[in-house]
Amino acid sequence: MVPLSGYLTISAFLFTLGVLGVIIKRNPIVVFMCIELMLNAVNLSLVAFARHHPNPTANANLAETVLTGHMFVIFVMAVAAAEVAVGLGIIMAIYRVRKKIDVDDMSVLRG
Amino acid sequence: MNDSFAIVWWVPGLALLGFLFQAMLGKWLVDRLGAALGKRLLGTMAVLPIAAGFVISVILLQKVLALPETAKYAVQTLFTWIDVHPLLVPFEVLVDPLSVVMCLVVTGVGGLIHVYATGYMADDDDYPRFFTYFNLFIAFMLVLVLANNLVLMFVGWEGVGLCSYLLIGFWYRDVFNAKCGNKAFIVNRVGDWGFMLGIFLVFVVFGSVSLYASPENGGRSILQEAPDVLAQFFGDPSLGNPVFWIPILLFIGAMGKSAQGPLYLWLPDAMAGPTPVSALIHAATMVTAGVYMVSRCHVLFELSTEAMLLVAVVGAFTALFAATVAFGQFDIKKVLAYSTVSQLGYMFLACGVGAFATGMFHVVTHAFFKALLFLGSGAVIMAMAHEQDMRKFGNLRKYLPITYACMVCGWLAISGIPPLAGFWSKDEILAKVFGAGGMFGDNAAWALYAIGLGTAVLTASYMTRMMWMTFVQKDERWRKLPETHHHDDAHSHHELDPHHTPKEPYLCVWVPVAVLALLSVVGGIVLAGGGFILPAFPHYFEVFTHFSVATEIAHTAHLSVPLEWLLAGVSVLGAVVGIAWSIRSYRVQPQDQELGVEVEGWRAKAFAQWGYDGMITRTFVDQGGRFAVVLWRWFDAGLIDKVFVNGIPKLIETVGHAIRPLQTGYVRGYAAAMLFGVVVIIGWVFLSAVAR
Repeated sequence: MVPLSGYLTISAFLFTLGVLGVIIKRNPIVVFMCIELMLNAVNLSLVAFARHHPNPTANANLAETVLTGHMFVIFVMAVAAAEVAVGLGIIMAIYRVRKKIDVDDMSVLRG
Repeated sequence: MNDSFAIVWWVPGLALLGFLFQAMLGKWLVDRLGAALGKRLLGTMAVLPIAAGFVISVILLQKVLALPETAKYAVQTLFTWIDVHPLLVPFEVLVDPLSVVMCLVVTGVGGLIHVYATGYMADDDDYPRFFTYFNLFIAFMLVLVLANNLVLMFVGWEGVGLCSYLLIGFWYRDVFNAKCGNKAFIVNRVGDWGFMLGIFLVFVVFGSVSLYASPENGGRSILQEAPDVLAQFFGDPSLGNPVFWIPILLFIGAMGKSAQGPLYLWLPDAMAGPTPVSALIHAATMVTAGVYMVSRCHVLFELSTEAMLLVAVVGAFTALFAATVAFGQFDIKKVLAYSTVSQLGYMFLACGVGAFATGMFHVVTHAFFKALLFLGSGAVIMAMAHEQDMRKFGNLRKYLPITYACMVCGWLAISGIPPLAGFWSKDEILAKVFGAGGMFGDNAAWALYAIGLGTAVLTASYMTRMMWMTFVQKDERWRKLPETHHHDDAHSHHELDPHHTPKEPYLCVWVPVAVLALLSVVGGIVLAGGGFILPAFPHYFEVFTHFSVATEIAHTAHLSVPLEWLLAGVSVLGAVVGIAWSIRSYRVQPQDQELGVEVEGWRAKAFAQWGYDGMITRTFVDQGGRFAVVLWRWFDAGLIDKVFVNGIPKLIETVGHAIRPLQTGYVRGYAAAMLFGVVVIIGWVFLSAVAR
């Protein structure tokens, strides 16, 4: 069995990759993909933790012992999907007005 | 509580209604009915409430006389005015001998002055405004004299101050008059400051401000409780000896209103107002308020010999000082103004030696003859085309025989010639001062008596000077005036020129003068004379006011009858000497009457009030102005405006400018900032975990 540290290393690598992408990319589509990457890194660690550290206080109920982390993952994916739907809608709207979607261009909204 | 006294509310009430009538309908009526008829109606409506007030005062006099000797007072409550525990101030008035006497003087003499004013002001366009103020003045003065607590008295006190301001500056289009009104108001405020502090201290010490007890004010009476309450404070330093400070603070208030000592300055300038105003302020109302208040609160004064001595000394000093200044004046009304200051000093001198009843008696007789003198001088001023400089008068007895005859009564009365009114009160004051040795020590009493007597000589002398320059001297000095060519406009006052012929004033002007002349002649002998000549006849005034003011001052000596006769003789001698001296110098030598010649020597100094007015102006007005400029430049413009009002926004703006570049609007910038923050927090948590 692969140890927990292996999963966490990959998760940290993916998360860092995502953060870097968010910071340095100018295309909002790519930024979104990077956010997905960060979310998935988190999902990975959630699942790994659930597997390696089952809830000791719970009784034999499977759902309570092992599936807590999985449920979190489902929630994260659902929220991420909703967020992307909204985000893409905004990006479409911006594109219609300005004919480009460079994120630096959006800095006109600064304070 | 006696409901048969409820009628007292009409005394100030009617004056107040008169004020409302003048204020609301006055101008409308004049516009509607035309100037002549409208003014006649308004004049009548102005006099009526005061006359009715006088009639009611007479009824009150009857009622008070009928009260038992031990409780000669009645308190009437209208409503509770201030009720903030523990301060309870009902709106209530006090009817007792003292307030009734004052009501009679205010409505009686004040009413006569109203009658006079209907004639004097007949040519003035602001007729309704004048009588609005006039009636309000009387209303406030009646509130002052009738008030049963110091707070309500203060309402009247401020009210007459307001009305004096309005009336002195009545002809406000001339900036000088407006300034005189300001001066009166500001100087009075200095005194009011003392009076207010006195009221506060009274409340702190007594827990009440009511003069006489009634169920509505919680049955408290500062006058009746004073000896007991203040006895606790002898030697208690925590309140700085209220036994001394209460009377002193109240006296500072009285000094302002009654133009004493350092605060007399406003009164001569009050001459800027129309003559009836001068008469009303000087004789019947405002300036007597201080003497009245001191007499009213006499219990508080009597407990402190130091305070009494201060009152006496300030009074004596003011009497002498103002009498000397009167010699330097050429404005006929200013002579009378300084004379008023001097006579008020006399009244305070009487109060200072504990002769409060005598002081009030002088208030009454002074109201008669000073009102007479003012109204008489007003008649002269009218006859001389509103010229007030005595250097331009002379020989007026030929043209104004009635005015002259009346003025002679006033002149002899104020000089202290028996049996006219002034003699009785003035001689009584001097006798009481003479007997004050037990109180202040013989030396002090002698000094005060000497000042009083000297003032009496000077009074007789400067009044003679005024009479001689105005009426008696043969040369008609206005004949020497340069010719003035002016258009004969019926509406404008024509100027005094060599062809001017003085004429006696209208009927409604000289009739009040004549009535006052009669009062000046008989007023004293009727009220006080009996007891002096025949012991069987009482001194009516003293007997009547006994309940309110005549308390036995323990140390005042009772003078023997021969000594009283001697003192009276000395007083009369002093008056005769003063008159003779003036007649001699003004008959033989025309001294300062030459037109256009500046006076020199001591008269010039006297004219300038021995430099006092100038000193005050330099010290307080000029330096105060400089101080205000400093405050404005450094504190207001420098500190408030520059540092606070403009400085704080500037600081925020600068900081905002400095950190504005941080808000780039780049999403990645914000994300990097968040990342940085997260790293710092995690690092900090990690390091602290390691350290533990």
